Amino acid sequence: MVTGTGGVRPHWQGFFLADELTRGAMEERWDAARRLLFQNGVTYHAYADPQGVERPWPLDPVPLLLPAAEWRVISEGLRQRARLMDRVLADLYGEQALIRDQVLPAGLVLGDPGFLRACHGLVQAPAARLTLFAADLVRDPEGQWRVLASRTQTPTGAGYALENRVVLSQTLAESFRNCNVERLAPFFDTLRQTLAALAPRASGPDGSPRMVLLTPGPYNEAYFEHAYLARNLGLILVEGADLTIRDQTVFLKTLGGLERVDVILRRVDDDFCDPLELRPDSALGVPGLVQAVRCGNVTVCNGLGSGLTDSPALLPWMDTLSKHLLGQAPLLPDVPTLWGGDAGQRAEMLGGLDQLVFRPAYSSLGHQPIYGGELDAAGRAEMASRLRQRPQQWVAQEAIAPSTAPVWRDGHMDACPLVLRAFACATRDGDWMVMPGGLARISADDRFAAVSLQQGAGAKDVWITGKTLEGASTPRRRSQMAPDGAGDAGLPTIDLPSRAADHLFWVGRYAERADQAVRILRAAARRLSDDAHPGAEEELVPLLRLMGWMGMIPAGIASLPEADAVRGMRQALEIVADAANPGGLRATMERLRRAAAGVRDRLPSDVSGVLAVLDERAAAPMRADPAVMRLRLDEISALLASLIGLELDGMSRGPAWRFLVLGRRLERAIGIIGSFQGSGLASGTAATGAALSVLLELGAAGTAYRERHPLGVRREPVLSLLLADEEHPRSLAFQIRTVERQLANLPEITGDENGVSPTQLARSLLLTAGELLRDPQPARDGTALCDLTDRLGRMLPDISNLLSQAYFSHVFARTT
Amino acid sequence: MSLPAPPEPGSADSGLMRYRCRHVTRYSYSDTVTSSHLLAHLAPRPHPHQESRMLELSILPWPAAMVDRRDWFGNPATYASIQVPHRDLTVTAEMEVTVTPPPPLHPAFTPAWEMVAAQAPDLMETVEYIGPSQRVPQGGPDLIAFASESFPAGQPIALGAMDLMRRIHEDFSFDPSATTVSTPISEVLSKRRGVCQDFAHLMIGALRALGLPARYVSGYLRTLPPPGRERLRGADASHAWVQVWCGAEAGWVDLDPTNGKRADTDHVTLGWGRDYDDVCPLRGVILGGGSHGILVAVDVEPL
Repeated sequence: MVTGTGGVRPHWQGFFLADELTRGAMEERWDAARRLLFQNGVTYHAYADPQGVERPWPLDPVPLLLPAAEWRVISEGLRQRARLMDRVLADLYGEQALIRDQVLPAGLVLGDPGFLRACHGLVQAPAARLTLFAADLVRDPEGQWRVLASRTQTPTGAGYALENRVVLSQTLAESFRNCNVERLAPFFDTLRQTLAALAPRASGPDGSPRMVLLTPGPYNEAYFEHAYLARNLGLILVEGADLTIRDQTVFLKTLGGLERVDVILRRVDDDFCDPLELRPDSALGVPGLVQAVRCGNVTVCNGLGSGLTDSPALLPWMDTLSKHLLGQAPLLPDVPTLWGGDAGQRAEMLGGLDQLVFRPAYSSLGHQPIYGGELDAAGRAEMASRLRQRPQQWVAQEAIAPSTAPVWRDGHMDACPLVLRAFACATRDGDWMVMPGGLARISADDRFAAVSLQQGAGAKDVWITGKTLEGASTPRRRSQMAPDGAGDAGLPTIDLPSRAADHLFWVGRYAERADQAVRILRAAARRLSDDAHPGAEEELVPLLRLMGWMGMIPAGIASLPEADAVRGMRQALEIVADAANPGGLRATMERLRRAAAGVRDRLPSDVSGVLAVLDERAAAPMRADPAVMRLRLDEISALLASLIGLELDGMSRGPAWRFLVLGRRLERAIGIIGSFQGSGLASGTAATGAALSVLLELGAAGTAYRERHPLGVRREPVLSLLLADEEHPRSLAFQIRTVERQLANLPEITGDENGVSPTQLARSLLLTAGELLRDPQPARDGTALCDLTDRLGRMLPDISNLLSQAYFSHVFARTT
Repeated sequence: MSLPAPPEPGSADSGLMRYRCRHVTRYSYSDTVTSSHLLAHLAPRPHPHQESRMLELSILPWPAAMVDRRDWFGNPATYASIQVPHRDLTVTAEMEVTVTPPPPLHPAFTPAWEMVAAQAPDLMETVEYIGPSQRVPQGGPDLIAFASESFPAGQPIALGAMDLMRRIHEDFSFDPSATTVSTPISEVLSKRRGVCQDFAHLMIGALRALGLPARYVSGYLRTLPPPGRERLRGADASHAWVQVWCGAEAGWVDLDPTNGKRADTDHVTLGWGRDYDDVCPLRGVILGGGSHGILVAVDVEPL
């Protein structure tokens, strides 16, 4: 950033000129950026963390600025490297002339666990073999960019790069404009076009190919990116269990049945993709996928087996390979690397034990480096013996001190070593397009460059400033994606995978369950903290009973008599506030979070934003003091209410929405029945007046009731309002009608071998429930009420189960 | 250390043998299976000492797709998918095979094992059989020590390998109840029990621990012994043994640690690979099915 004489380097001038980037301004910007990232739900998982929790994405507020001239060198080098890697893959999974002609040692390839024998001979279009390519680059002390590692399998980071851009172009808007930064959108447009061009046929509803992004699932470290990319590229996000193979063809299990899939952009590692022909213990793949690729019925990108060329053992041969296959020396040199499988190089490795950095030679063996310079005599002897015993399994690299870049740390600029991950994607015409930008990762370790996302301490956006050749030739045309990452390419709504429908259903159920819990707790906290509330103590009794019924507190406290109700409720609030209590609010929120995580791509970003804030508010430690708790509960309640608002107003009425609504309405119906049973009203174990007041409050029906019956709380009108009033959105009848209506819009599921259709059965149960609710007797008579709640209490969970059976039943593949 | 005498040329094993082999596998499931994908290695591969003719490979229920190909190792492999609901599944393979005796071997004249180990990483033929594989992970000090006993300095490779085979045969008990398909070789080594697959993996692991090339052979044994001879172990199921690289001249030598002898005209070869996973006779992935039972019957009758 600073020249030798202390001036600001030219390409940074625009950055600083733009805004008065003083210390205070920088901190403000950073706060804004973090808030944006948080609301957008940008996270990554750390496997090292035993709980596998999501971490916030550590974006640095200062981008890495690269002048166009410097970028041109990188960009040309990357295109050449992508071309080379594609040629190498084609040969090694084809005729293997490189081995036969002894350009590459046979052991280097055949000894690599990443060489998948089942994939040898798979014929693939070149652009499918290596659709997306990335390289990790470091700048050596002389300012030369060098390749540290190649990523040919499932390069992660393009989505994070896009998200970084979205956040930084908003927080540093003026600098962004001043620096004339190259936009990312055309790159993603190209990627999408390439994928579409690779489809063996077009099976989509509108005559376009049906394309999916295959993710290992929400527990993967980069799941955020999978959902984000799927959304931006207009792909359907699927897990292995969402796909099935019939007639050597891949199908997506949707609500409406099986739909043929043409292109799979995969984020599942090579060997996990097919338990039949690759790793038998994989639960992430699709049995028979290799065969489907083999006979050309589906295109998998990047090609199966492409992890082979990720292995560092290939690095010492890059120069040779480039000259042999392309007739050119590499434009970007590699970090000098030695492979133990070669006798000469092994000798050099043994001679340089105290200076070199040792890494596993094959990418499937992990990435953990060993720094020779830090080993004592015993450690060096140990390393030497490991090297002699299994020389093929080690490479050594020169410990290049990577150059640093400015990083915003603890309120000031600092310098940290970094690695630049740059991306290229294949184009339809057989060329490569380089993403004008990338993902810069700040190394946690000053000695050496970070290799994986997990080892990195932070990430930076990369701005290519000024004009580049590509920039000049492609004027700002309207991109399909509008501003970088801001638009959704649009998801085909009819192709809702059954698994996604299942998650959405449970998002609805858990959101409603949380809402019910919060309503009860607010009612309780209000009665404890507000002395002016008439009948407060008496009304604590049905609330305690209800909390016990819902499993929030132990039965011993729930059944306390009125005289002990205040003491009991204080104790109850302590228990509920305890994050470790499985029946507590925290636990319900956690279930909501998990269900939502599985359908990130299906929820509008506003919903994800509210969920993120909700999660954070619910996770913060809660004090059991009624007044303090009330404030917190009010806040959570408002967030839950905004979720409902977004459901009503912020989502289009497709199947995804219907399942969300079905979940919410069924849960609410179950909750209402529960409140009759749990509060003691149905069984007559609590004072009727107190229980009725509480139920009116929980059912948000107080105002509606008083309008119609200003004379006071009486049993029959209260009950008929809560049970049978189809105009009141929190009555039981309203829920049943809504469920019926949504169900009518979903595909009919035909019966199993016994001829019973689960959807028909659910419909007839709903019909019966509706009839039962039209009977005026239960509102008048305790026994009839008891009978009604018993019957509905059994019926409603049955309806939920029937829906599961009809739409979500997954049969997972297993190996025999 | 006593060494077994090499089999003499012109002994009882010298004549060629013709067999009809029939291998039936029957799965039955407690619940309906909606679909199955199968990968079969049930047909004999081309082999210098064996001629074969596949008579039948049939699957019931009838598969929607059935595709033959040669795998990476040159073994015939068949992919099949069954798309009708079923509660049992039967795979029948039937073939005629003529086995000729292996060429004579002079173990004492094979190269020193150190030389074989030194050359193995550079030979196309051997390079992929020296490293760890799915079922035979890299051996620890126990396995190296176990192997080293048979390979003193300068020991000719075939002598060492045959001694290793003899030790496994003599010191280990054949015990089908001791192990399962997934028992690791470290456990076989410590328990000293197992079946043919375990002994083959153990021997391969021991050889590779010293850098010696070894591969896994899947095949059958003749069911009934010739009159007056003992019935061989593993004769009513799939059998497995080992090939050891004994230098360019002797090439791959078949050794059967379960029976403590060179594989000969009693052995019918189906295919080979780095370990069981590469040549597993029948691998299936099913959807549904609950618990399952499996019945395997192998008949190898002389013609």
